[in-house]
Amino acid sequence: MSNSFIIRNAERGHDMIKSDGLRSSYIAGHPDGFVTRASSFNFHEYQGGRPGFGPIRVFGDEIFHGAGCGYNMHPHHNFVICAFVFAGELTHINTAGAGMVDRLQAGDYYVFSAGSGGKHSELSVTPEDMHAIYLWLLPEQLYLPPTYHRAHFDFRRRRNEIVQLVGDDSGALPIAQDLRVSRLMADASRSFSYRLRTTSHGVYVFAREGSVRCGDVTLGRRDSTGIWNVDAINIEVLEDDADVMIVETIMTDDENIKKWEREHAGH
Amino acid sequence: MSTERFKLLLCLGCGFSYDEALGLPEHGIAPGTRWADIPDDWVCPDCGTPKHMFEMVVIGYAPGGPELARTA
Repeated sequence: MSNSFIIRNAERGHDMIKSDGLRSSYIAGHPDGFVTRASSFNFHEYQGGRPGFGPIRVFGDEIFHGAGCGYNMHPHHNFVICAFVFAGELTHINTAGAGMVDRLQAGDYYVFSAGSGGKHSELSVTPEDMHAIYLWLLPEQLYLPPTYHRAHFDFRRRRNEIVQLVGDDSGALPIAQDLRVSRLMADASRSFSYRLRTTSHGVYVFAREGSVRCGDVTLGRRDSTGIWNVDAINIEVLEDDADVMIVETIMTDDENIKKWEREHAGH
Repeated sequence: MSTERFKLLLCLGCGFSYDEALGLPEHGIAPGTRWADIPDDWVCPDCGTPKHMFEMVVIGYAPGGPELARTA
C-alpha cells in the first residue's frame, strides 16, 4: 500500500525575515532588504511541520527583495545545498576549495556540498527580486571534500518532458546522495509517468506554477505531495505553463520523521 | 561508563556535528561526553542554533572524516 502526505501552500511555514537588528548579520541588504521564505519542512524556531522527507531537511521557496538582499557569509558543514533560480539573478559566493563567485539567472542551478566545511553567501545584486528554491540534504557521508557544480535548465527547448537536473543521469549534476531532482514544464492535458528507482525510494512533488493531478490528488500553485511505497506516479497537467519540481530520494529509516508522523497521525 | 553506543548529532542550522566519542575539547567538552549531559542552553558554536534543533543521525564518516570533525 502506498503512503503519502499533502502540504498545501498555506500550510507551509511562511516567514518574512528583515535585515534589521541582530538579523542584519545574517540577512544582507540592511536597512530595507528582506527575504520571504515558504518552507515545506522544519520551519520556525520550534520546528513546526514535517521534519523532512528521506534525507531532505529544507525545501524553501524564497524571494530576496531589494538590491543587496540575501544571506551574508556564514559557515556550513556536511549539508548538500541546491539552489534553483526562477527569476532575478543570484550571486553565489563560497569559500570551499579555491573559492567560487557565480552568477545564476532563470533556469540556472547549483549543487554545493559543504562537506568538510565552507562559508557561503547568497546575494541578489540586481534591482529585480530574486526567486529560488533551496534544497538542503543530509549527505551519504560526513566531511566529504567540498564541491560546487552548476548547470542550466533550458526551459525553451525542454518542454513537455521530465528533465533530470541533479542525479545520476548523464547531463545532470552529481550529488553525494541517492537522490534525483527533476523539473517538468508542461502544457495542459499532457500526462507524464515517473517511475521510481525502487520501492525503497519516495518522491516529493512540488507544483511551483499551474496545477497538476498527481495520483488522486490535485495540486494547485505551491502545493506539494510526498509519496512512497509505489512503483511509479502519474502527473496529469491541468493548467498551461505548469512548472513542477520532482525530488526522488531513498527513504532513509528516520526515527525522527516516524516519531513526528506518529504524533500527528490523523491530523 | 555507559556501554551505550556513542551518538552523532547534526546541527539543522548549519550541519556542524557533535560526536559523543570526540567531544569538543576546543569548546571545553571532553571526549566521551554524552549529548544528554550537555546543558540545554548550549548552542551550536558555528551558528548559534539551540541544542534542541540538533538531530541524531546515523551517517558514516568519509575517509579522514573524524579528524576533520575534531578540528571543524
